[in-house]
Amino acid sequence: MSGGGPLIVQSDKTLLLEVDHPDSQACRMAIAPFAELERSPEHVHTYRLTPLGLWNSRAAGHDAESVVDSLIKFSRYPVPHALLVDVAETMDRYGRLQLLNDPVHGLVLRGLDRIVLVEVAKSKKLAGMLGAKVDDDTILVHGSERGRLKQALLKLGWPAEDLAGYVDGEAHPIELREDGWTLRSYQQEAVDGFWAGGSGVVVLPCGAGKTLVGAAAMATAKATTLILVTNTVAGRQWKRELLARTTLTEDEIGEYSGERKEIRPVTIATYQVLTSRRGGAFTHLDLFGARDWGLVVYDEVHLLPAPIFRFTADLQARRRLGLTATLVREDGREGDVFSLIGPKRYDAPWKDIEAQGWIAPAECVEVRVTLTDTERMSYAVTEAEERYRVAATARTKLPVVKALVDKHPDEQVLVIGGFLDQLHELGEFLDAPIVQGSTTNKERERLFDAFRDGSLRTLVLSKVGNFSIDLPEAAVAVQVSGTFGSRQEEAQRLGRVLRPKGDGRQAHFYTVVSRDTIDTDYAAHRQRFLAEQGYAYKIVDADDVLGPPLPKID
Amino acid sequence: MATTFADQLRSLPDEALGALIQLRPDLVVPVPADISALAVRAQSRNSVARCLDGLDEFTLTVLDAARLSRAADTALTSVDDILQLAGEDVAEDARAAIDRLRVRFLLHGPPEALHVVGAVDEVTSPYPAGLGRPADFLDPQAAALCADRAKLRRTVLAAPPGARAVLDRLAAGPPVGALNRDSVAEPVRWLVDQHVLVPVSEAGRAPRPDGELVELPREVGMLLRRDTGPLGVLRPVAPVLDGPARDPRSADSAGAGQTMEAVRATEALLEALATEPAPVLRTGGLGVRDLKRLAKAAGIDEAGAALLVETTYAAGLLGESENGTGADNFLPTGQYDLWRSTGIAHRWAALARAWLAMTRQPGLIGRRDERDRPINALAPDAERAGAPQARREALAVLGDLDPGTAPPVDALLGLLTWQAPRRSRGREAAHRDAWAGAAMLGITGLGALTSYSRVLLTGPGDDGDDPLGVLHPEDSHADAVRTLDQLLPEPVDHILVQADLTVVVPGPPEPELAGELDVLAEPESAGGASVFRVTPASVRRAFDVGYQAADLHDLFRRRSRTPVPQTLTYLIDDAARRHGGLRSGSAGSYLRSDDEALLAEVVADKRLGTLEMRRIAPTVLVSPRPVARLLGALREVGYAPVAEDAGGATVLTRPKTRRAPSRSARIAEPAAPLLTGPRLAGVVEQLRRGDVATRAARRAPVTVRAAHGQAIPGLTAVQQHTQAMAVLQQAVRDKARVWVGYVDSHGATLSRLVRPVSMSAGYLRAEDERGESLHTFALHRITAAVTEE
Repeated sequence: MSGGGPLIVQSDKTLLLEVDHPDSQACRMAIAPFAELERSPEHVHTYRLTPLGLWNSRAAGHDAESVVDSLIKFSRYPVPHALLVDVAETMDRYGRLQLLNDPVHGLVLRGLDRIVLVEVAKSKKLAGMLGAKVDDDTILVHGSERGRLKQALLKLGWPAEDLAGYVDGEAHPIELREDGWTLRSYQQEAVDGFWAGGSGVVVLPCGAGKTLVGAAAMATAKATTLILVTNTVAGRQWKRELLARTTLTEDEIGEYSGERKEIRPVTIATYQVLTSRRGGAFTHLDLFGARDWGLVVYDEVHLLPAPIFRFTADLQARRRLGLTATLVREDGREGDVFSLIGPKRYDAPWKDIEAQGWIAPAECVEVRVTLTDTERMSYAVTEAEERYRVAATARTKLPVVKALVDKHPDEQVLVIGGFLDQLHELGEFLDAPIVQGSTTNKERERLFDAFRDGSLRTLVLSKVGNFSIDLPEAAVAVQVSGTFGSRQEEAQRLGRVLRPKGDGRQAHFYTVVSRDTIDTDYAAHRQRFLAEQGYAYKIVDADDVLGPPLPKID
Repeated sequence: MATTFADQLRSLPDEALGALIQLRPDLVVPVPADISALAVRAQSRNSVARCLDGLDEFTLTVLDAARLSRAADTALTSVDDILQLAGEDVAEDARAAIDRLRVRFLLHGPPEALHVVGAVDEVTSPYPAGLGRPADFLDPQAAALCADRAKLRRTVLAAPPGARAVLDRLAAGPPVGALNRDSVAEPVRWLVDQHVLVPVSEAGRAPRPDGELVELPREVGMLLRRDTGPLGVLRPVAPVLDGPARDPRSADSAGAGQTMEAVRATEALLEALATEPAPVLRTGGLGVRDLKRLAKAAGIDEAGAALLVETTYAAGLLGESENGTGADNFLPTGQYDLWRSTGIAHRWAALARAWLAMTRQPGLIGRRDERDRPINALAPDAERAGAPQARREALAVLGDLDPGTAPPVDALLGLLTWQAPRRSRGREAAHRDAWAGAAMLGITGLGALTSYSRVLLTGPGDDGDDPLGVLHPEDSHADAVRTLDQLLPEPVDHILVQADLTVVVPGPPEPELAGELDVLAEPESAGGASVFRVTPASVRRAFDVGYQAADLHDLFRRRSRTPVPQTLTYLIDDAARRHGGLRSGSAGSYLRSDDEALLAEVVADKRLGTLEMRRIAPTVLVSPRPVARLLGALREVGYAPVAEDAGGATVLTRPKTRRAPSRSARIAEPAAPLLTGPRLAGVVEQLRRGDVATRAARRAPVTVRAAHGQAIPGLTAVQQHTQAMAVLQQAVRDKARVWVGYVDSHGATLSRLVRPVSMSAGYLRAEDERGESLHTFALHRITAAVTEE
């Protein structure tokens, strides 16, 4: 029986796909609709069957029979009977309940299976969301509870199919201006996938042009749009991109941030201003009702703060597009993203996109620094909560960072860290300006512009650099410290250097780590995400970096 | 009557007698002394019940017909009467059924004067074919109504809808219902007033909470059944099982996948148990929390874990072991290690055979018993002697179908109920359990019996002389393993190493490879393949068991089909560098001093050689000897050491005088037990009772005396209890006098000559010799019974 298909089905519902197998591409196409790619290292990719993934595929029109068929067809070994039964049963749970717009009663929950409807109607979790019974198969739903009901039903394991439709919103003409560029194929696929599904999330790596996907979605919707972004700088980048790529003009795009409160046909608002409170109440909630929005775009969905989820629950009648590089949420609220923003509509493995040449290939290197005896002693006697700071900010790292910067004399270098004291030291040591939380937006813009046009070669960034800053010319990033073991931060930082370079040069991503300390452990944890995405990490000793100049890596 | 029965047996040709014994093998266990004894046994309740248990629904209905058609005066029936009741349509089948009953001697006598064996009435429902007793037996007014057929028909037709529903329900059987259930109280009252229903009360019963019982007279029942015939709906042939027909190959494949999964889960479960043994509960069994933990470790649900725990225990892979504090723990046995070293198919076959034979019903685990306590895995409550039989029955039904047929479980149960209604009653849960267990263990795949399990169940050469595989169970075992092996993936000896430090074994690993990976990587995912992750901790573990960095590099290079990533090489070297950076050991005592020269002097001192001191740091010496010895020796040769306690403070001691632990003085008094009033009386009574017993025994037959342990020359056999019961049952029927030997509540043995009147609820009621008074004997106290000669 061996020597069969490329797929191995595991008991824990993971699927192992052997990449080098001749049938692997066909198999990938067959399983991608229902299994989520979890890891894609060089030889064996891991997919996982999750209830969310199976429901996603059910929502896309696949049935249990076809899923089971693909598993059996591509599997190298016999697939356990129990697993097949489980897959069929899980998929069968989706769509037993439907949210519909009844012409007479308005929003209703209809059960295609009466017993399920009775079961969920009795649940305490749905108390107050359901209204009177219309008939045996239909229960009224309060219009305002559409989102919360979907959340609660997902928790009960009976996800409802939302067929209640969307409002068109206020029409507004938006066109893409494709002069000298066109939408890349995968971007078009992402937009099509989103539009067909109505609402949902598009997963693309940093630098793969998520903004353009947003712009194209707006051009398809041709309606007033509310764009939610992480911070003001990111918002301005959106604005710049929209002006350059669409027919929108300066007057049509408003900024709603701590500084300015403009509401225009296309409004870009920050998460921060929306979640700011005065006297315990959210003061900027009116924005959601300020216009009849036809589309709401969520940038960096994986960072969506909890209050925004609550607002989103009330926006279920509007089309929602989530953009992100990763669905991994450090708080584990993937289910809320599924039920409130929508199912995943498009996903591409990073390595595949890289192979298509849209993002720069990157080389990741971990540089291990040996602490001096004094540093080791001070680390050894530090309290547990301070240990990471002491290890991460060791002074020994400074010359190593300098050596790394010097190794790439012709490249634009970003030095990224988490501790301000250390960044100041680095700024002095490297003679480079620092962008941190307290830097004014004006100053930031100035420094970024200088970096973009090449007059500034080295820039030191604090945590503000983690997200949504477009510095396409950066080809080298040196990471000196981070937020403990955050995998998502690692992905974001790598994203800084993954923008396609004019001449297709290789990007470099260095992490400087103190050997034999907790720093190494955290670094290992963060790298896991990228190693699983197929980026081979190399580990070198600091002495190799500090020694005589290495031959150029090509 | 017994004589007639025995005479009939005696007059049988050898073949017919042989056929009877073959059909009812329990008659000759042990071999009876003569035909009379055989006759008694064949009419005994136990044997008749056992015989009925094996009969199908239709044959039992025909037997009911025989009971119904008995003449009131002679208690005789005939083949024609029975056929008339059964109806024309099924005459042929009914005739065959009558033959089956006659061969088994449940019906005996010539075709025109058939007897129903007396015990049949005692072990079957008092309402044959679901019909009530005749009206004139129940109530004169009802009898009057039934005698007037036209009036009866009118009354039934005039019944209001509610009452009609009650009638139909009772007509379908059983014909008895409760009077005072609110929903039916009104219609039932109407029916009782019309004498269509008759209230019956059982003498001596406590009042029932749902009111008095009512019974539907036989005549009314027959009238209501005029559409279906007096016996109700008859099913002369077994219901046909039809289910989705799977491709036998995909059924085999899904089953094979499931066998791998079952073996994997078993291993994961036992490994989890080995890491953290679970205590044996005081009431026996494995705690709920532990079962949950094991289920989680194996990645299966609790029902599955319960099944595997029971199966592994039955297979001897799991056992109890004393944990050092006097309590017992569940742990994998040594057998487990042997089991692990065999191939997957072998491992599966061991599990499957243990499952088939175990007298446990895992489906009960997690339910609650009659006292509302949860039933635990491996606890005595889940013991069911009938479980193996139930499993064989269920699988035999599947085995009789075409390969690949997957009937739904309810259809399967329906067929089992038809095949042997009496046996299946109460076994439904066991059959369901068997069905679920078979799916879990991969004995069935996609609901159909797999080819290798067919081999395991029936044996290879099914040539008739050994249909059950009793003689050569090993053969079917080996054949099943061979068949399964062809379906399972071949073991692999290589790995794929990746940059995220995962190691993938693309198939079941060879035992040697599995052993290596066990040590140097953490398992992440198992199934068709296994995924491991190399971590600093796992590499350290490899160093701990003696691998060197070079060995590990070599091992990965040798086993890996892909280039070894640089990160892994670095990880191994880094771990090797740190391994052993701290050293630990034990010592009996230490000696420390800030004066390094002084310590050097002590080490060099030849007189202290016996202390075996070793320098582990410039200022610390250790010795395997205890502190007191070290101090003494040092002081003896002139040093001035001081002892330290665990906190580092000096301990000053002065010599103590040695004493034994204190104990209180005790003076023993000479014991002179006094016999006081009640006790003395008790002794006297016991003596007198013994005297009476001896006198009584003198009159009792030999067997009864033998049962009392009175030595009788040349006769030592003690009568079996079942034999005594059979004698008593026959005596009740024959109204014969019997010598009964019994043990009274004081433990004295007595014998009495009595005439048994009835036997029920564990008691024998009997008139004494003079027929004056009724005595009650607890059956379990009766030691012997012999008919008076």
